[in-house]
Parts: sequence; structure tokens; C-alpha cells
Amino acid sequence: MKDQSSYSDIWIGSDDLGRDEKFIDQATQEMPDGSVASMLAQGASFASAQTGRRDFLKYLGFSISAATIAASCEIPIKRAIPFVTKPDDLVPGIANYYATSYVVGGDYCSVLVKTREGRPIKVEGNPLSTISAGGTSARAQAAVLSLYDIHRLRAPQIKNAEGKFETATWAQVDELVSTTLKPESRIAIVANSILSPTEKNVLKEFQAKYPNSKLTFYDPVSSAAILKAHEAMYGVAMVPGYHFEKAKVIVSVQADFLGTWISPVQYAHAYSKNRKIKDATNAKMSRHIQIESYMSLTGTNADNRIRIKPSESSAVLGRLYDKIASSKGESSINGPSLNSSLSAAIDKTADELLKLPGESLLVCGTNNIGDQALVCAINHLLGNEGSTVDIQQYSYQRQGDESKVNALVTSMNGGEVDALIIYGSNPVYELPFGAAFGEAMSKVALCISTNDSPDESTALCKVLAPDHHFLESWGDAEPVRGHVSMIQPTIAPLFDTRQRGLSLLKWIGGKDLLFTAEQPYYEYLKTTWASNVSSVSSWNELLHDGVFTYSPVSSGASYKNNLSTLTSKLIQPGTGSEITFMETVTMGNGQHSNNPWLQEMPDPVTRCGWGNYLALPVAFDGTRKFIAHENLENGELADVVVNEQTLRVPVIKQFGQTPDTFALALGYGRTATGRAGLGVGVNVNPLLKTDSDGLIQYYASGVTVSDKKGKEDYYSCVQYHHTMGVTGEDSETKQTINADEAATVYMSYGLVRQGFQGSIVNRTIIRKSHLENIDDFIHDLQEERHEHQELNKKQVYPGHDATYARGHHWGMHVDLNSCIGCGACTVACMAENNVPVVGKREMSRHHEMAWLRIDRYYYGDVDNPSAVYQPLMCQHCNNAPCENVCPVNATNHSSEGLNQMAYNRCVGTRYCANNCPYKVRRFNWLDYTTADLWPINEPDLGMKSEKDGIPYGADNLTRMVLNPDVTVRSRGVIEKCSFCVQRIQEGKLRAKTEDRLLRDADVKTACQSACPTGAITFGDFNNETGDLNEKLKSPLNYIVLEEVNTRSAVNYQARIINKAEGVDA
Amino acid sequence: MGSGPTSPIREPLVQGHKTYHQITEDLCSPTERAPSRAWTMAFIVALSALTFGVICILITIWVGIGTWRLNRTIGWGWDITNFVWWIGIGHAGTLISAILLLFRQKWRTGVNRAAEAMTIFAVICAALFPMIHVGRIWVTFFFFPYPNTRGPVWPNFNSPLLWDLFAISTYFTVSLLFWYTGLVPDFATVRDRAKGLRKKLYNVLSFGWTGAAKHWQRHEALSLVLAGIATPLVLSVHTIVSFDFATSVIPGWHTTIFPPYFVAGAIFSGFAMVLTLMIITRKVLNLQEYITIGHIESMNKIILVTGTIVGVAYLTELFIAWYSGYVYEQFAFFNRALGPYWWAYFGMMTCNVLSPQIFWSKKIRRNVTMTFLMSIFVNIGMWFERFVIIATTLARDYLPSSWSFYVPSIVEVGIFIGTLGIFFTFYLIFVRIAPVVAIAEIKHILKSSGDQYVKSNATTTYQQVESGNMEFEISGHDAHASHDQH
Repeated sequence: MKDQSSYSDIWIGSDDLGRDEKFIDQATQEMPDGSVASMLAQGASFASAQTGRRDFLKYLGFSISAATIAASCEIPIKRAIPFVTKPDDLVPGIANYYATSYVVGGDYCSVLVKTREGRPIKVEGNPLSTISAGGTSARAQAAVLSLYDIHRLRAPQIKNAEGKFETATWAQVDELVSTTLKPESRIAIVANSILSPTEKNVLKEFQAKYPNSKLTFYDPVSSAAILKAHEAMYGVAMVPGYHFEKAKVIVSVQADFLGTWISPVQYAHAYSKNRKIKDATNAKMSRHIQIESYMSLTGTNADNRIRIKPSESSAVLGRLYDKIASSKGESSINGPSLNSSLSAAIDKTADELLKLPGESLLVCGTNNIGDQALVCAINHLLGNEGSTVDIQQYSYQRQGDESKVNALVTSMNGGEVDALIIYGSNPVYELPFGAAFGEAMSKVALCISTNDSPDESTALCKVLAPDHHFLESWGDAEPVRGHVSMIQPTIAPLFDTRQRGLSLLKWIGGKDLLFTAEQPYYEYLKTTWASNVSSVSSWNELLHDGVFTYSPVSSGASYKNNLSTLTSKLIQPGTGSEITFMETVTMGNGQHSNNPWLQEMPDPVTRCGWGNYLALPVAFDGTRKFIAHENLENGELADVVVNEQTLRVPVIKQFGQTPDTFALALGYGRTATGRAGLGVGVNVNPLLKTDSDGLIQYYASGVTVSDKKGKEDYYSCVQYHHTMGVTGEDSETKQTINADEAATVYMSYGLVRQGFQGSIVNRTIIRKSHLENIDDFIHDLQEERHEHQELNKKQVYPGHDATYARGHHWGMHVDLNSCIGCGACTVACMAENNVPVVGKREMSRHHEMAWLRIDRYYYGDVDNPSAVYQPLMCQHCNNAPCENVCPVNATNHSSEGLNQMAYNRCVGTRYCANNCPYKVRRFNWLDYTTADLWPINEPDLGMKSEKDGIPYGADNLTRMVLNPDVTVRSRGVIEKCSFCVQRIQEGKLRAKTEDRLLRDADVKTACQSACPTGAITFGDFNNETGDLNEKLKSPLNYIVLEEVNTRSAVNYQARIINKAEGVDA
Repeated sequence: MGSGPTSPIREPLVQGHKTYHQITEDLCSPTERAPSRAWTMAFIVALSALTFGVICILITIWVGIGTWRLNRTIGWGWDITNFVWWIGIGHAGTLISAILLLFRQKWRTGVNRAAEAMTIFAVICAALFPMIHVGRIWVTFFFFPYPNTRGPVWPNFNSPLLWDLFAISTYFTVSLLFWYTGLVPDFATVRDRAKGLRKKLYNVLSFGWTGAAKHWQRHEALSLVLAGIATPLVLSVHTIVSFDFATSVIPGWHTTIFPPYFVAGAIFSGFAMVLTLMIITRKVLNLQEYITIGHIESMNKIILVTGTIVGVAYLTELFIAWYSGYVYEQFAFFNRALGPYWWAYFGMMTCNVLSPQIFWSKKIRRNVTMTFLMSIFVNIGMWFERFVIIATTLARDYLPSSWSFYVPSIVEVGIFIGTLGIFFTFYLIFVRIAPVVAIAEIKHILKSSGDQYVKSNATTTYQQVESGNMEFEISGHDAHASHDQH
């Protein structure tokens, strides 16, 4: 080594070491190459410039000080947590779908849940399911929102001495429960129907550990009479499998099987198979006769309707039985006598049923054992057993018997119950004797609730052990014997909740091994199926598909002629006014009342949202008015007195309602729930009565309805005009006239008193025909369309056809015969497209934001009209009236035929909305999404709780449901249906990555995929072999307002009904 | 403009045997006196209305259009009704200043100044609505075709709303220039009588007018050029406003009759508003001798003619609706007359078509009280007309499912009241600042040729001269003092 002290011992590289002259010269110079500026001045380029030490220091100093200044400004914090280790199956921007099952009590739907970046955001139907067959209901579509409900219980709670709930830990809850429960404890578990075989095992184990425990099932809307009647008639308490797809004649007595009754998605899918006109030249369809007191969703779809009073159902079925029995050589029963005006219609109905033995189906929705026994007997006589009525693969979807709950109240009051577990049910609200149940709960030492949200029953419990939402749960369901459906979580639990089955297992104790597992209930579930599922791959396949079927052993049901023992239960028709209490498509019996999407979805029949309205029958005065009881008008308040209890309710004039009867929906007037459902509408459950069998009767006699007692503050009906060409008898000339003037003429002046006849009927919006006249109808339709098309050809503008020819041209087809109006598509659209919820006040001002609405028009006889549903979304006109009037080009046309909105460009003149003949454009009147700069107008939205201050869905938790592919719109801009352009893009990308041509099946709009009946078909006009072009071949197709030459891209297929002569009454 | 020969059988346009000096005195003094009590009261009322309107506008911008009661079916209500109404009111000013000028209708000189001022203020009120009725007022600059960094994003030249923008801004500019051009010599007259700061201010306002022959020549040339430009605007502005409706596809809007019908209606309502204002002004400012019964009668004749044209248009619409055989068109008109807004239709028919027919009677045409009442009637009727076209039509269009109803909210009413406040505040300020009658122009028509007074004025003069009661006046001196002294 050299001397350390020597300067030359430190060198800067080989040049230095070699004492290179030039290098030393440079190194000792203060400014080696001059500044960059001087270099540039000498003509050197910047890239080649070298930075000197001083320049470097200057730049360094400048950058640091600049950075310091910049950094000292406040920069908004964006919370984004990157993955440290990215999960394999999670690619940002790519959705994952998980098969699971929507199960709420006995309501069931097999679904695929779309998750984005780990968040479930959308529910789709599972096409592999043999039950729901890819269809969904509005309730299933809205289920994803309830996952993010801010009012869900977030942790276990225990009521303290002062009666206030305090958050607890699960250990505390388990400690309290296991110390209180003794093996000899008399425990009552109250649940709705449970579809899960695994959960049934859990309950069995629970009962094994606590032999004195008792299970009580009831359903929010009871079908107990069906179970009991079948027990008597077939030896098995069951709801048989109804095969509507095999039925050519369907008669339904008070059963809303398309909307709410037992398994509407399944039934609607099956029903629609025989309702579609596939070959118009040889048109065939089933015949559907609905016998009911109120206008149900099913009734609006029926070919014939017979209006009865609710108490006449036994008499109707008795007459039907006698008529059919006599033709089969059986003896008649001594049933209640039927009103003579109905007899003829019922006899004709019997004839219809007899025409096609084995291919007919009678269903009944009343909760009377005698009625249901008659239904069994009639179906048996008609030979429907084994074809349209399946007693082998029957349904488990209704297992409840409310009479047992009533018995439980007695034992609770008698101190015979030590502990009560409210297991996913709400007896205090849902049952007529709910108040008594609530009082009896105070006699029970320990009340536990496993419900996941606050409700009337949970409020009275001591211990809250909240369940997961089903999208966070493991589980299974067997809605129909032999049809199993899996439930798997789509997200880790959001809150400190625990699956209710697991809570029971925990309280059973002694299963410590299980609890060491990460997901104990998953392990438990797997062991349930261990014998059926042989390998890991088949287990994964099961979870992937979500459903599987097996052949169950014989149910052991066989027809026993026990009818005579049950006819005593038939009821005599009542006199005086009666009222029906019915379930709505949205609310159930209040299970869904805290879901703003469902509250906002207008009821398909009344078109009202946010509340229940008393349906009043309508009469035509023969001149110009539709008159209702006491001259009440829509949205006015009246007092209805039922069973000595008075309710003040807003009314709506309901076409098709039996004279002298009323109807009011269940499921409203909740007193303990989240913000959306609290205090909306009135609770009718306390008005209900049970019959001698302890079964709830969903009607009452001796009803009085008062005159006008005021007006509802916010009458939230989205459709003011309800008819399109109803006909009635003129009071003077006795001729049949168009009765629509009632809604259009406000002033009458002698000559024009009758209004302009045909002003409503002759519109080219709804096309409809009777099946018998279909050939004439097609001829007329084609002729009229031809005329319109010839005129439209004369336009001087070139149009977009040349552009479309180069690529895709998107279009849609809607089959009005398949559409039953259930509204699943409207909720699906809200979910897919981040459509805001506006609340009751805004809805009453017609500020609803729905991109897709279902118009409902009545036509035909004014007293007993038919109805037609028309889903209306943006028609994506090729001559769009909205486009040319926008001053800033915010709405314009894509090369693929889409009418697009550029929200950022929109100034909000609303001219496009005015000029839209279809009125599908929606304006953001206020800041519905809190996307605005100013929060000022948020409390102004008239939301239920002004304290909360923010609109529904604008809190950070609920925002997790937003679809990241769709912009959230701010106030002041117009929005509308985009044909789910994000899905089109996704489909195009998929086809591109798979290096193939796009197929129609690659793109399914949200409404299309939600539809249980396949009424909506989306596709490419240019794809000649696609589904869309297949549908376009029908000669029944038409375009709404074709003569306006908007060149709409949506084709509608005309509504055809198969009305039998003389059956209506 | 030039003082051409006047028919001797016509009554004089200025009464009371005014000298040029008296004219100056009469017309300038209102700007020089302290404001009267009536003016002060009126100004307080107008300013309060303006303030209320401004508050309502701020609420609209701050909270959103949701403070109005428009809905998914009826996207325009009071906002566009008021817009069209105000634009219509403006039309009389332009018609009087431009078309009547070209047709050498000399009676226009008595009212043209105030009518032009009214035009300006009415257009300001009108222009407010398209701006504040949009959802996002902060991006209204998207309307303008300015070079931008957004690539080829331009406004949509197919949209009638864009045409409106150009039409109204052109109209406003030309009207303002025309009005101001006329004011320049009068401001100079006021300046010459003023002292101190006032003098300086009016000097600036009059652009240092000296009254030189060259000034007069240029002034008259410019007036003619502007009249030439303004004349087509009288027809074009309301034609384009009518396109907002006529180019749409909504039955009841989609009508080729709209352009002439709107122009006639605009002149109709404009004259009504001129009458409303002038009847008050002439009374309050004592100008009965300048704005005579003859003026009122002439305007009433125009009201009668345009009102009848409007009536014919209404009937033609009904006929065409029936004759077209088109169910939607038929229903639209059926609904106008007998639907939920029947009262608006009958208000319109009564006020616009029936009531002006009383002007067939000369006695009523020359009755100030009746004229004033009628002018109010017509203003109301024309407001109803626009409301009927806009709200009634939208409330019942193609799809019965979407039919709706609309009543305005307090904010919408407040904005309308606010525009009335703006209008009257501006007008009241105007009468304090500028001569309400064009001094220079009225002097032109005082005499038929040379020093010859017209008809009754002339007679009086001779009598007075003969009786020796009156000093013979050397004409022109005083009247043209302002022009000569500098």
C-alpha cells in the first residue's frame, strides 16, 4: 500500500491514476465546461449538454425548493390500497362472477353475482338453474343493495339493564347464551321456511343437544292451507311442483303466481313458454283465466278475468268442482252457493279446463284448507297429477304454519318457554298477532335474534347475534326436491357478524375442532355434502355451477279421497264490502321494505312507489268520468275501517277491482327498520284475522271506507293516465264508446262533451290483437307499417346506414306477449347503471330517474279491462329528435347506432327531453348522487330522515354497490338508457381477445339478462344469424311511433291475447 | 328623419303649439328635476321585485333546477314562457324604430325612444332565461363556437337553441346601437343645459357632439344603415325563437305556421307593452302633447291588426289539426282547448283575439283608460299563448303513460317577478337619465316645411299673433341652440 497521507493516494479513476494531463487540467478548473447556457449559446443541443457542478447545484437547489413549495400545498388524499400480493383471480377492471343463491325465507332464485375488485355489484340469473332458469325477480336484483345497507347490524349486541343495546363481542354473546341455556331448557326457535339442508342438520343437532327445544316455521305470507290440504289429500304436507309450461289452460283463483305466489320467477319462466307467439302463421298459446278480487300482476296478464269477492273463492271452487265432477261421473259436494252472475262464467271456465285434461292447471292462493282441498281434487279429476302438478318433486319453498306460532304465544305467556331464538324472521311485524307475540316475548327470560338488520322483533330481544348477508355466507338450498343450489360468499363479511347456523353450532358446543378452521361453517357445509361430492374437483364444479339435481326417493304422496272431510271448511260468500290484503312484487310482507331500489320501483299494477295505496274499484258514469267510491280521487286520503281498526290511507282508482271490494298491500308501515322503510305506508298486518284452523285470512269483510279526509303530501305515482282505449256504455245512447275522455277532457261543451273519440285508441304505441283475429291483424299492421315506411323513405337526409354497414348496428326486440311486467329489468337497470334513488317527494314531482320503465295500459271493457305492459327504454333512434336539438352536441350518434350521452358536455337545456317522443330522458334535477361541488341541496331531497342529510345511496358504504364502468352523473345533466354500452364494450373486447366475430350472446343488456321470461332480446342488426334477427322475422313486430320517422332501433312484438268468449265476469 | 310634407288633413303630431324651446324644456326637465314621489315609490317597488328575482335566481343556481316544479315530461315551463314573452315584447321597439322609419311613419317619433329602450330592457330580461334555465350554468360557454382544446368539439349548428344565441345577441347589439345613436344629440342637449359633474358625464355620453352639419349627416346616415339592418331582425328574431318549437317533433310544436304567427304575436305584445308604458309615462311626465291621442289610436290600430292575425293563426292551427287527419296533432289541439290547461287556452283566446276587436270602434281606440286596460289584457293573453304552447303541449304528448301536470314553484314565479323588476328598474332609471321622447326627432316633425306649423298649431299661432298676445318667435334659434353654440 502507498502512503495514506499523500494526495496522490486518492484517485478518481484510471485517468487520475495515470496522471493524465488533460484530466488534471479539467479537474482543477473551477468551471470545467462552462454553464449549460453558454454551451447552448455555442450551438450545442440540449441533449448533448453536460451539467456542470454549479449548474447541478443550482438545479438541485431549485428543484428542492420548488418541490418544497409544491409539497406544502394541500394535496387531496386519495385512499387507494394497492395489493402487496395480488390475488390470482382478481384483475382490476375485470369482473368475476360467482354462482350463489338468493334465499330470503322461502323466496329463492339461483344467481350469478358479479364482483368487481372484490365488491359484489350486480346480481344476474343463473341460466344453469332448472328452477329459476336464468331469470331473476326485482327482489333478487335488489338484494345486492341490502348487502351495503348502512342500517345493518354491525356487531353483536346485548341489551343492558336500562334496556339499551350495547355492542358486545362474540365471546360475550356466546358466554351469555351458553351459560343461560341448559340442556333441559325449553327453547323456541321461530323461523321462516328454511330451504337449506345443511341448516336443517344444524337445527337437528341443536334439538339433539336441547331436546326440549321446538322449531316453529311460518311464512311472511302464508301458504299453510296448501300444506295442510295436501297432507290430508296426499299424505304429505307439501306445495306440489306446478308445471305451467305443460299447461295449456291455466286457471288461478286468487293466486298471483307471476308476481308473488310461492316461486314467481320459476312460474313466470314456465308460463311464458306457452305465451310466446313463435310462429305467427300458426299461432298457438295457452289460455289463462284469472279469478280474483283485486288486479294482481297475474291478473293483468290473464286472457280472461272473473272478478269475485274474496269470500267467494270457496263457492267458485265448489261450483268448479261440481261441474267437473259431474262430467267425470263423480258426486258433487254440498258447497257454498255461488252468486248467479258468476255461475255462468265459472261453468264456462270448467268447460275450458275439461277441454284439455292433463294439460290444464288450477292453482289457488287462498289460505283456506277447504279451498285447497278442492284444488287438489279438481286437478286430480282433470288428470293433471303427474303432468302439470308434480307430487314427487314438490317444493319446499313454503313450510310455515302460523297456527303453531299462535300456539307458541300461548306457551310463552304460560311461562313454558325459557329462551326464544328469532331465527331470520320477524313475527312481531309479519303476523296479525304480532303485538301479542311481542308482549309474550317479555315473559321469556332470554330472547335472541339472529336477524341481520334491526326490525320490530329484534328490538325486543336481549341478545343480537347478527347473521351474515347471504352474499357473505356459505350455504345451500333445496327449493324443490332434487334441485340443490349452493350459496358461496362473494365478499368477506363487511361487519363483525356471524352466520346464524354457526351461532347455533357454537351454542351447541362440543365442536371445538370445527372452530379451529378458518371458515368453520364452510367446513360444516362440506361435510354435509361429503357423501354426495366425491372429489375436490366435483366440489369446485358444484360451486362453479351453483346448482345440481339428483333423483330423490319417492315422496310417498298418493291421492286419498278425503275431500268430504274438508268441505266443511269451505266458507260462505259474505255480504257487504270486503278488502283483500295482498303482497306486492317489491315489498313481500315487509322483508324488503328497507331497500330503496324496491321502494322506488313503482308497483307494476298501480304504478305507485314508496307506500301502499288502497285500491278502489272504478265505474264508468256513461258520460265522461271514472268514478270511484265516495268520488275519491287518486292520492286522496280516506279512512278505512277493518275489524274495528281504522287506518288513514291514500287511495288509487284501480281498474279491474271487483265492485264493492278494496285492496291494500302488505309490507308497509314498518316501525323498526332502516331509513328507507321506516314509516313508509301503513301496516295492515294487525287487521288480519285467523280462521278456525289458525290460518291467516288475507281478506276481511264488513269494511267501510270513508270519504275524502285530505290529500297525501306526496302522491308518488309515476303514471297519471292509465288507459288506452277502454270502452264503456254511453248512458244515453247505450252504445259502446271510448271511455277515455274521462282522463282527457276537463271541460265539456255540448257538442264535444264526448271528447275526441279515438284520441287515445288510435295511437301506434300499443298494438294488440286477439289470437283468433291474428291474420287480419297482421295484414292491417303490415299495411299500416308499409304506408309509414313509404312516407319515411321520402326523407332527404342521408341517414347513418352507410356507417352502420361497416360494423355493428345495435338493436333490441321486446316481446309484449312475454313481458309480464314484473319489474326485474327496471331494478337491474338501476343496479347496472348507477341510477340514483330520489325518494318519495321527488317521485311525487315526477323526478324519478329510471332509465327503463314499464308502462302499463288498460284496454277493453272499462269494468274488467285487459292490460298490457310495455317496457320503455331509450329507443336509440337513427333519426334521433334529441340529437339535432342539443346546442352543444352532448347527445350524439355512434357509428354503431347508439344514441350516446356525453355527460361532461351536457349543459342541461332539457330540449332533448322535451323533444323525445318516448319521454325516456331523465334530468338530474337535484344532486341525487352528491357528485356535486355544493352539498347545499342534499337535505332538500325530502328524504325520510333529514338528519341523515344525504340522499339514498350517497354514503360511502352504499357507494360500494356502484358499477365502476358507469359514470355517476352530477346534477344538471340529462341521462338515459345507453343500451348498456359498457356491456357492449366488454363483449367486443371478449370477442377480440378470443379472435372471433362477435355473437349476439356476447352482449346481454342488464334488462335482458334479468328478465325471467326472455321478453327482451338485444343484438346486432348486421348479424344475420343472431338472436335479434331471428326475433325480427315475426310479422307481429312494430315500431312505436313509426310514422314520426325517428327510426327507432327497438322493435316491439304485438300483444296477443287468447280470450275465451263469455268467461269474463 | 327628414320633415317631409304632411297631409293637411292629418292632425298635428305635436299639440299645444310648442316652440322648439318649449320642446327642449318639456323633454329635458324630467332629467333635471328631483324625482317625484310617484317615481320614488315606483322605483322602490321595482327594485324590491328585482332583488326578489335575484334571490330566486341565486337559489336556482345554488340548489338546482329541482327548485322548480318542472318534471321528466314538462322540461320547460315558466322559464321559456317568460323568455319568449319578453323577446316578443321587445319587438315593438325595433318595429317602430326601423320599419316605421323606413315607411316614414312620422308619428313614431313620439314613442320610438321609449319603445327602443323597452326593447333593450326586454331583451335583457329575455336573455336571462336561456342562461339560468340550464342545469349547469357554469358551462354555458359551451354554446359559443370558440377554438378549444377538445379537438373538433363545436356547438351543434343544427340546434335552434344555438340559432337563438346568435339571433338574440345580434338583435341586442343592433337595438342597443340604434337606440344609442338616437340618444347622442339629445344627450348633447341635456349636457348644454347642465352644470358641473352632470355636464361632464353627459359630455361623455354624447361623445362630444357639437351639432355640426357633418355630425348630423353622419348621424342620419348611421340611423338609416342601422334601420336597414334592424328591419330584417324584426322578422328574424322571433322566427328563430319559433324554430325552438317548430323544428321539434312534438305535436303542437311541429308547425310551419309558427314563424309568421310568432312575429305577429310579438309585434302585438310589443305594442301592448309600449302602450302600457307610454300611457303611464305621458301622464306622469306630462307629455300628453307629444304622445297624443293620435299616437295611441295609431298603435291601437296596429294592435287590432296583429291581434286579428294572431286570431287567424289560432284558427288555422285548429283547421290544420283537423284537416291533417293525424291523430296526435288532432289530440294536441283538442287537449289545448279542453284538457287540463283549458283555462290557459281560453285566457289566450279571450285576451288576444276577442278583446282587441273592440278597437274597431274609434271611440274606444281614442279612450286612454280602455286602451290601458286592453294593453294589460294583451300582455296577459300573450303570456298565456306561450304557456299554452309550451307547457300544455308537453303535458300531453305521444305516450299517455308519461303525461304529467305542472304548476310553478315560488322560485319560478319569483324569477318572473324579478324580470319585471329588472325591466321597470331599468326603465325608471332611463326616464331619469334620458329624454323619453326623442327631442331632435320631434323637432323635425314640428313644422311641415320652413316655419310652417302644422294645422291646428298653425291656426293658433296666427290667432295669437293677430291678437298681439304672443311674441313672434324666430324659429330654429333655440331649438338648435345646442347645435350652434359650440
